[in-house]
Amino acid sequence: MNDGIDYSAAGVLVRGDIRAAHHALWEHLRAPGPCWTGAQRIAIARASRRAAGCALCATRRVSLAAGVAGEHDGDGALPADVVDVIHRVRADPGRLSRAWFDAVIGGGLAVTAYVELVGIVAMVAGVDCFARALGMPPFPLPEPLPGPPTGQRPAAAKPGGAWVPMIAPEDAVGAEADLYGDGAFVPNIVRALSLVPDHVRVLRRLSAAHYLPVEQIADPAARRTLDRTQTELVAARVSALNQCFY
Amino acid sequence: MLLRASSELEGRAVELAAVGGGIASDAGVEHGARLVAFTEAVMGLDDAALRRERAALRRVLSPERFVEVAAVIGAFNTVDRVADATGIPLDETLAAMSGDVRRELGLARFASSANTPGA
Repeated sequence: MNDGIDYSAAGVLVRGDIRAAHHALWEHLRAPGPCWTGAQRIAIARASRRAAGCALCATRRVSLAAGVAGEHDGDGALPADVVDVIHRVRADPGRLSRAWFDAVIGGGLAVTAYVELVGIVAMVAGVDCFARALGMPPFPLPEPLPGPPTGQRPAAAKPGGAWVPMIAPEDAVGAEADLYGDGAFVPNIVRALSLVPDHVRVLRRLSAAHYLPVEQIADPAARRTLDRTQTELVAARVSALNQCFY
Repeated sequence: MLLRASSELEGRAVELAAVGGGIASDAGVEHGARLVAFTEAVMGLDDAALRRERAALRRVLSPERFVEVAAVIGAFNTVDRVADATGIPLDETLAAMSGDVRRELGLARFASSANTPGA
């Protein structure tokens, strides 16, 4: 597949399932979603990468208050308030709060658009970290596909439990019957993006390749080539650095 | 956060303080110090430090395992952002398997613990 993803700089062989998950994500990113066009989705991904070098984000990270005012480093492709959400999710996720989320939605960003944005930022962040770890430059973002947003929103997504509506496992029927697989345990992290069902499908594939299939997560004996303690130590250290309780 | 559950299964006595970083020993995990130092370097901004830690880790891990470490770092940089930006609570199943570790490490100090009642 010629989508610009190239692992040659890593100097090591990257497993086929990881490669396939990355290609699937890139193909997913460039297509129109429920609320954003393909071009807007790629602009969201591009904006998220600029957070690393953003002076305002750097100032906020070392400030006691997350509300330091200013302008983010951006290319003008997206409204400033959208760029602010993107940069906060990418650069300072540990300080997001319910009050902040309510203000974002109260400010006019539709919750489905928010979830779509969060999924893009989070999945690109993960792939970018993978590339950085292996000594590769970030993969070039794909060319967007044309077309308007789909406008789709699953009727089964309901409020409760999280800031955003989610589809309960028992409500994943019809077009969403495949959403959570066959496992008895569906962790909230898998349900979190279910307002955008295709995000869930891509995230499951990405997580299965990068970590473990959802069905195996709660089994402490499940592992690949690393000892599970090695895997969990790395995972826990990442989450501590991100100040993530989950 | 299945560090304790997996360590008990593997018969290892893991020093949970390693999760807080800055460890000099392996903390009961094979190559634990190298894994933590590499993870911190990937998450940091010092490219020279990352090159050093990458080289050090590659000396002790097979290429296959090294790629797996990179993949896990990527996975949790995705998962953490999804969790924190959607406000999901910790699942009861996972909480039951990791509650003691979370208390020991004081993870309730993180802002996102507010999304889990009773955390």
